[in-house]
Amino acid sequence: MAVSVSKMALLLAGGIFSCSVAFAQDVSQERIIKGLGKLTAAAPAIDVVILQQEAVNSGGKPMSALPNWKKIAKLPQMVVEINFENDSIAIEPRSYRTLGMIADALHHPNLWDYRFLVVGHASSTGGEKHNLELSGQRADAIKEALSTTFAVDPARLFAVGVGEYLPIEGVKADASNNRRVQLINLGVFKSKS
Amino acid sequence: MQKIAIRLAAAALLSTGLGTPVPAQTLSYADAVTQLADACGRDIKTLCKGLNLGNGRIYGCLQDRSAEVSQGCKTSLAGVLQSIAQREHAQASYKQLCRRDAIKSCGGIKGDGFVLACLAKKERRVSEECNQAITDAGWR
Repeated sequence: MAVSVSKMALLLAGGIFSCSVAFAQDVSQERIIKGLGKLTAAAPAIDVVILQQEAVNSGGKPMSALPNWKKIAKLPQMVVEINFENDSIAIEPRSYRTLGMIADALHHPNLWDYRFLVVGHASSTGGEKHNLELSGQRADAIKEALSTTFAVDPARLFAVGVGEYLPIEGVKADASNNRRVQLINLGVFKSKS
Repeated sequence: MQKIAIRLAAAALLSTGLGTPVPAQTLSYADAVTQLADACGRDIKTLCKGLNLGNGRIYGCLQDRSAEVSQGCKTSLAGVLQSIAQREHAQASYKQLCRRDAIKSCGGIKGDGFVLACLAKKERRVSEECNQAITDAGWR
């Protein structure tokens, strides 16, 4: 790999009316809460195994052309980057703050009833199969950090890796900003008593 | 008005370093991990190389290698853990501590986020314990 540090980004999705993807390097807790807190309709039921299969068999189609992903692709989105050590699931200490901010947002009353899907991506550098595995492990690593260090209820979090199969639309498949993780609002988990 | 006066007095005490210590504002997770990355980043990179954040691995490693960990990291870690515990406790007890105020001052409002926004807005009419919970929870 040409770069020493792999980057991933978290794509944060909330409502259903906008589908613009905004890259936000200087993301704030407030922006995350606003971006994710606009879910006004019931989110679709999802199955991470089906989503992964659909991605692997996508044949280069974009997310918006796949039946199950299409429902998710409609959600408004926000992208932040998480840096990993090269070819590793170890999150770089300089990305701890971003994860902390996401955790702060998920603990806020505006968002604490919602479930989220963490989707790991990879650029097309390296083997397809390896990229699929690595992206899944990275999504799992983020879920694990959020649910242990940052005390987010693990029952609210789902993780899936899609490797290089669903590149960001409008971005070259080998571009580094395809190494990202999406975080998608899956709707109400349960009512807090 | 009285509350504001008390706060100003507390702030004055804090700024001069006199009087009983007033608990500092609790840290957000973002600020907490930033402090740790700053104070312990070097220790983590050398002593806990390859370990990932999560499941207490890095904390466990720093404990195991305690003799080699820098004093700055140890001090920061202790303070951060205490602050996070305080914030988590405030978030967990918020609903109970603010239940009466929510009914009294924000009755009829649906949705936890909207209720919180209402309570924060009506700070002066809300009980001391509820206000403190909202502050410690980091929701101001």
